Amino acid sequence: MNNTTHFGFKDVATEDKQNLVKGVFDSVASKYDLMNDVLSFGAHRLWKRYTIASSNVKIGDKVLDIAGGTGDLAISFRKKVGESGHVILSDINAAMLGEGRKNLINKGVFGVDFVQLNAQYLPFADNSFDCVSIAFGLRNVTDKDQALSEMYRILKPGGCLLILEFSKTDSEFLKKFYDFYSFNVMPTLGEIIADDKESYQYLAESIRKHPDQETLKDMVLNAGFGFCEYHNLSGGIVALHKGIKV
Amino acid sequence: MQHFALEQALNYLIQTGEIDLKPLDNKTIRFSLQDLPLDVNFVCTNDRIFVISDTNRNSDVDISLGASVFFALFKGEDLTDLLRQDKIVIHGDVKTAQLLVDLLQTVDIDLEEVLSQYTGDIVAHKAGKIAKNFKKIAQKSSNPLDAIKDGLSALLITPTVSKLYKKDRH
Repeated sequence: MNNTTHFGFKDVATEDKQNLVKGVFDSVASKYDLMNDVLSFGAHRLWKRYTIASSNVKIGDKVLDIAGGTGDLAISFRKKVGESGHVILSDINAAMLGEGRKNLINKGVFGVDFVQLNAQYLPFADNSFDCVSIAFGLRNVTDKDQALSEMYRILKPGGCLLILEFSKTDSEFLKKFYDFYSFNVMPTLGEIIADDKESYQYLAESIRKHPDQETLKDMVLNAGFGFCEYHNLSGGIVALHKGIKV
Repeated sequence: MQHFALEQALNYLIQTGEIDLKPLDNKTIRFSLQDLPLDVNFVCTNDRIFVISDTNRNSDVDISLGASVFFALFKGEDLTDLLRQDKIVIHGDVKTAQLLVDLLQTVDIDLEEVLSQYTGDIVAHKAGKIAKNFKKIAQKSSNPLDAIKDGLSALLITPTVSKLYKKDRH
């Protein structure tokens, strides 16, 4: 692995990125859902609903939600898999996982397991999940290829990987608007609402550093998945990549 | 959006109809309707069907036919008869094609309704058809509100499949 990697637009030592990302999420955990609603005008709920509906998850399935944070995907998966299924909500960040646990209890959702883990080293047996999801988390992972290989390893043959992530729009108008919005409005709103301008500056920068749709599709295929297709949502601001292990 | 609706409808029917997909496990079927812009791959695996638009992998069987033949097939017409009349073109494993036909003939689905989404030119017309389709699924679903919300979410975020994307390489 290279000795340096990116943290937003900055180059940092590879071993430092994890702690820097941890700092961001420690800082934003308590206001995470509120900020998502404000910054995306509520669209993140639609993107996540589409992700769940696209998962083809059914009763009895075993699902791992990585970087699951406050647990909105896990809640929906829990309803889909029923009593005979199994959902694990995981996150590398203890503060985010704590928010997730609180959120699930408040909503009366039980039967979800919580695991603090690093996506690059998944502590699960080979071929054990029907579905693995990661929503708005992959861009924060230091070694994405390793994480994708791990996701591939733990999925059953026929299992489905879902990656929901900010991506690149090919609309010039949308690009200009989005650049202005993410580099000017988002950090300001972060400062006003969460008292944290830097974390939302990082958010905007990390989106630009994240691989585009085609590159990520190639990465998923290179990890071993037999099929990968992505759907651009809201003009490509967000993309859902779906990989199938064969 | 069309792929999403088709995949949703098929898996819903497979689950509710308790249809056994095991005979088609790990099979990829390329399916195209000659007179409609429908060219998809059905990836059958893990007891469900994924609808994929393009793939680098070879399919087990390619099926190409006209829409009217498809509806006839769906309503119980014999595959061998249609093959004999050159109304359907099959490249690859005919046994897999027969298994798919058997499966389609088992499910209780108004496929014309689902496929009508591929024929509309006007967005509003499409949206109306899709909404109607989701309404239909919702009526049968144990959780109708969820089915309607899924359909509306998909309409609002206008998903488009991958091959339309142009790479930005600045």
